[in-house]
Amino acid sequence: MKVITAYCNLRADECLVNGKVVARREVGSEDSWFKQIYKQQAWVYPKFYKMDMLSQAGYLASELIKRANPGISEAYSDDEIALVFANASSSADTDRRFIQSYEGGGSPSPSLFVYTLPNIVLGEIAILNKWYGENMFAVLPKFVPGFYLDYSRILLASGSRALLGGWLEVTAGSTDVFLFMVEEKESGTEFNEENLLHLSQTVAAY
Amino acid sequence: MDSLKEDLKKQIIEQLNLEDLTVADIADDALLFNDQGLGLDSIDALELIVLLEKYHGIQLTNPEEGKEAFKSVDTMAAYIRKRKAA
Repeated sequence: MKVITAYCNLRADECLVNGKVVARREVGSEDSWFKQIYKQQAWVYPKFYKMDMLSQAGYLASELIKRANPGISEAYSDDEIALVFANASSSADTDRRFIQSYEGGGSPSPSLFVYTLPNIVLGEIAILNKWYGENMFAVLPKFVPGFYLDYSRILLASGSRALLGGWLEVTAGSTDVFLFMVEEKESGTEFNEENLLHLSQTVAAY
Repeated sequence: MDSLKEDLKKQIIEQLNLEDLTVADIADDALLFNDQGLGLDSIDALELIVLLEKYHGIQLTNPEEGKEAFKSVDTMAAYIRKRKAA
C-alpha cells in the first residue's frame, strides 16, 4: 500500500521532521530563519544563498526528508520520483521584490526574475537530486489533501513509484510548509486524506 | 592593495548573493565562470552587467567584451579603468 514514509513541517519558528523538532528559530539572530536552519544542518550548497524564500523552503524541507529517509535516491531510477507541490500565493513575494528592484529607476534583477514562477522550486530540487520524473506545481486556495491523492493516483499509475508532495506557502509574513514522501510499503502511515491532514497539522511535543 | 579590486569583490559578493564567501576568498586572478574559481552561471553574468552599470556607470552592450571583461576580478578592473579612461 502507499504510505507516508517521512514528512517535514516548517513553520515560522520551528522545523519538525517526522514530528520531532530539528530546529527552532533563534530570535535576535542576524541570519534569516531559513539561513539558520541551513547553517545548523551544516549543508554545503552555495546556490542556497541565491534562491528565493520559496525555493529555500523547498530545498530545506526536501533535504531534511532525505536525511530522515536515507537511500531514497538510490532506491529509484531518476524518473521514478514525482514532485507535486502547491501553495496559495504562487511566487507573489518574489514578484513584488522583482518589481521593487526596478521601480526606483534601478535595473531589473535577473537573479530575482528567474524566481518569478512558483514551479522554479521543483527545478531546484530536480537539478540538485537529478530527479527527472513528473512534476507539477498547483496554485490552490488552501491545502487540500484530496488534490495530492487524486494527482498521485495518475502519477503512480503511469511510471512514478514514489512521490514527494508539498504545500509551500511562504510569504514575508508567514511560513507554512509541509513536505511528505509517499512510497509503496507493506506497512506504515497510510497515504490517505485523513492522515495527510493530520500530519500537516503536526505540533511539537513539549 | 588595489581598492578598485577590493570594491569589486565586495560588490560581486553583494550583487550575486555569495554569502558564503568573503573578499579574502576571491583571488584577483580566480576565474569567475570556472568551477575551480567562483563557478558563476549565466544569470550571474547578467548580474555582473547590472553591477557594472549600478556601481561604475558603465553599460556593457557587446557580448564579446563581456567574455573578456568577466574572466576575473583582474580583467574586470582593467575593463573598468579602460572604459573610464576613454
